[in-house]
Amino acid sequence: MLLVGTLPLVIGLVLAFYQGTQEIREVNGSSFEALATETARKIDLVIADELARTALLSTDVNIVKELERNRDALSEMNPQERALTLQQEQKAWNAKAAGMLKKTLEGPFADILQSHVGGTFIDPGHPIPVITRSATRGLFITDRAGRVVASLDSDIPYLHHEEAWWKGAFHNGVGQPYMGQVAFDSHLGVYTFTLSLPIMDSLRYEAIGVLHRIYDAKEFFAPSIDIIRFGKTGHVMLIDSRGVVLSCPILPTGTSISDTRLIPLVTPLHSGWTLAPSDGHGGTEASIIGFAPLSNTRQITQMSTGQTWHMFVWQSSEEVFAPIEHFFKWTSAFGLLGVAMLVTLGYIAANRITAPIRRLQEAAQQIGRGEYREPIELSTGDEIEELADEVNRMNQQLASQFAGLESQVELKAQEVKYLEESTIKILDNVPDPVLMIGPNEQIEYLNKASREAFAVNNGEIIGTPLFQIFPLDPATQDRLKQEIQAVQVREPLSSGSTQDNVSNTTLQDPLNPTNWAHSGTNRQELRINQRTFRYRWFGVQARPGRGPSAGLVLRDTTEESILQDRIIQGEKLASLGVMSAGIGHELNNPLVGVIGLGEAIQEETDPEQIKEYARGIVQHGKRMASVVRDFTGQSGKQLPEGQTAINLNELLEQSLSTVKGIFPSVPVEIQTHFGPIPPIQGKVLELSQTFINILTNAFQAMKQGGKLDISTEKSGEELEIRFRDTGTGISPTHLPRVFDPFFTTKGQGEGSGLGLTVAYRIINKLGGHIRMESEGNKGTTCLITLPVTNAPLARERSSTS
Amino acid sequence: MTNLRYIRNGLPILFLTTILIGIGVSSSLQAGESNAMKNLSPEKVADFIHAIVEADRHVYTTHIVERMQEQGVVMAREDWENKSAIPLPAQFLHISSKLVAESGHGIRFRLISLWPIYRRNGPATGFERQALEKLSLDTNTPQRGIVSTGKKRLFQAIYADTAVNDTCITCHNAHPLSPKRDFRKGDLMGAIVVTIPLED
Repeated sequence: MLLVGTLPLVIGLVLAFYQGTQEIREVNGSSFEALATETARKIDLVIADELARTALLSTDVNIVKELERNRDALSEMNPQERALTLQQEQKAWNAKAAGMLKKTLEGPFADILQSHVGGTFIDPGHPIPVITRSATRGLFITDRAGRVVASLDSDIPYLHHEEAWWKGAFHNGVGQPYMGQVAFDSHLGVYTFTLSLPIMDSLRYEAIGVLHRIYDAKEFFAPSIDIIRFGKTGHVMLIDSRGVVLSCPILPTGTSISDTRLIPLVTPLHSGWTLAPSDGHGGTEASIIGFAPLSNTRQITQMSTGQTWHMFVWQSSEEVFAPIEHFFKWTSAFGLLGVAMLVTLGYIAANRITAPIRRLQEAAQQIGRGEYREPIELSTGDEIEELADEVNRMNQQLASQFAGLESQVELKAQEVKYLEESTIKILDNVPDPVLMIGPNEQIEYLNKASREAFAVNNGEIIGTPLFQIFPLDPATQDRLKQEIQAVQVREPLSSGSTQDNVSNTTLQDPLNPTNWAHSGTNRQELRINQRTFRYRWFGVQARPGRGPSAGLVLRDTTEESILQDRIIQGEKLASLGVMSAGIGHELNNPLVGVIGLGEAIQEETDPEQIKEYARGIVQHGKRMASVVRDFTGQSGKQLPEGQTAINLNELLEQSLSTVKGIFPSVPVEIQTHFGPIPPIQGKVLELSQTFINILTNAFQAMKQGGKLDISTEKSGEELEIRFRDTGTGISPTHLPRVFDPFFTTKGQGEGSGLGLTVAYRIINKLGGHIRMESEGNKGTTCLITLPVTNAPLARERSSTS
Repeated sequence: MTNLRYIRNGLPILFLTTILIGIGVSSSLQAGESNAMKNLSPEKVADFIHAIVEADRHVYTTHIVERMQEQGVVMAREDWENKSAIPLPAQFLHISSKLVAESGHGIRFRLISLWPIYRRNGPATGFERQALEKLSLDTNTPQRGIVSTGKKRLFQAIYADTAVNDTCITCHNAHPLSPKRDFRKGDLMGAIVVTIPLED
């Protein structure tokens, strides 16, 4: 964090320093250039002024006249004379001949020179005496031949026509100003530069002499240059294009600047500034140097010696960049201070802000995880403390709410556990095997009955495929897989179908042939290990994150099949007994009549009476035959087990007749209301057995007499058969059990307890319902409903058992 | 730069060549026919030189300086040596004059004025001053005369130099050292002095 904070600071500082340096360089460079230009101009003016003043001397009328005479004299000589004269005069001069010296040093010209240098010379145009510079170290005039004609001193050669300056200024008689380069004058002991002006004739037609002036370079320029100082090291220097110093407050005149590489950089013919590799004063540090040429003076110097003079402005880099370095130092110092303060404040802030916030964050995370924690104690005295208080409040509220929730969850968990345990217990106590099948036919659960039936351990079998414990042929396996899939697919999709499932999953009553018959059409029967199981699928909602499950209920029907066969057998025998009794009863009365009439015939002699008795016997016989026919006739017409179209009204009449025969002494008033009903498909024997059983019960309930209403009618798609007696009725405690096998309230020998059971089974088999209603001792109503079209009928159980 | 170099070196040389041809002609005449030489008076030589000088300056002014300035190629200015510029017409004449003098034939010409920007260009002698004064009254009549320096005698012809174009007027009226700043076209600005040495 700190680094992130200080890095921009450092970068900014470096950039500021770089930019500042650049700008200082620019500003100083420009300033130096301006100063160089200004000083160059000033020196130009000084030189121009000096030229102008010296020019006054060179145009002095007396001098011009004298030199004209001199010229004319020379021109009158022939070359030999001239050479001789010059030779003689030179000798005399060298020998310091008094005449020569006097003429030269004290003549009228010498006075002019003296007054000019001495400051008493008065320019014709100026009322004020010209104050010449004291820098003049020598001043003399030569004539056309280069002879000295006037001088301030005698320590000079006599002939100068071979001198460069003389030739330059005389310029073959054309005449032009000449400025000599800076050189050490061994005679004077100083570095000098010279100024030579041609002296023109009065017509300015041609040069007739040369005025030569020697200056102490240092003394000449120092007053203008050396005074220009700025800062500790900043100054101005005059150099020539060779790099030789003419004047500098630091370097001695005549020396060259220390680094020759600088010369081309600072001596172009225009002003400017440069960042030079050194300072020219011995320093090797890169320096800003301003420069400017002496433009006006150049016109003379370039013509004279090919050189140019230049101003050179320099200040030591240390000093130039001192402000920015100070700035940098101070900024760095303040930056460090800033960083230190940043650290300190950061530490304080962390203590005051970050740390409490961290604590709050941790607390919030703990609370978020549901871990109750102690209240946060913060005393920062600001918003954070308020926030902590709020968090504490929130924590308390959450804690109290969680406490309620926890107890509820615990309660629910207990309930779930209880439910689970009880379910397992219930399922374990269900005598039938119950299995849960998951995806890929893997067993998820087996109840106790399953484990026992298939001799497996619960822990081992969970997760194994179903068919590992169900050794079934592949066709049956495929069928079961499809069924499992169908159940698993159906179940999670529609919860509405559970209603259907509920009805489907009703454990099937083995004595309820209708449902089983339906099931039989789906072949829901398995033979496993020599045992027969009926089974039902039921869908189970999938657990979250798990595949759909299917429940399987099996019932071992091996024993039941045997029992049922026995019940039916017994019931058949019972029915046979009833029928035998009925037949016996029917036959008994006519038989008694036959016997009585037979006895009467034996004792009767009257043939007419005998015939009468015989007719009676025949009548009784016919009646007996009719009884036998009644009981056997129909069964004789079709197969006993076959189905046929049955007229229920007729069958009811027959059954009623049979039962009345059984109970001849019971005074029952019988009313029948037989409506027009279509025939139904069924077995005569079974239905007549049903009706006989019901009617028998009614007669037995009305031993003291009563009234029996029998009615049939078609109601919609159903047929209703109603038996209503006024007998003793059925007590409410017995009513739910009347269809139970072997349940009876009758005395020994009166009933087997299977009558209504059989009736129930038969009606159900036909797709109908049978219901018993009773109100205490006010009699009983039995209501049978049968579908009008009850075909196709289920396959016979016997065929599968 | 090419232009400049051409102007600096080429034109004066061209100019010089024309003059030398003129002188050469006169020399050959001197050598060949003395009668013809005698007929070639200094006046005519001076007129001839003056015509060439003026023609050259006119060509320079009109066809070089003005055109270049109009097209923005280069300006004519006094400190032309220090800048990217070409000499003023007056400087052109000075340079030509110096080159002619340096050629060593003795013939000189120069510009003089009663209102010179630089004092060296003022009249050197009384004759020159008088000539300027006379020319200011009558620009059409050149002033001629024989002058001497010491024993040396020279012929001088002084021709009026009037303000013929705007370049001259603008510069002289604007120059800080100019003593007179109300020149108008056609005004006498100075004179061209042609000096020819007379052999003894």
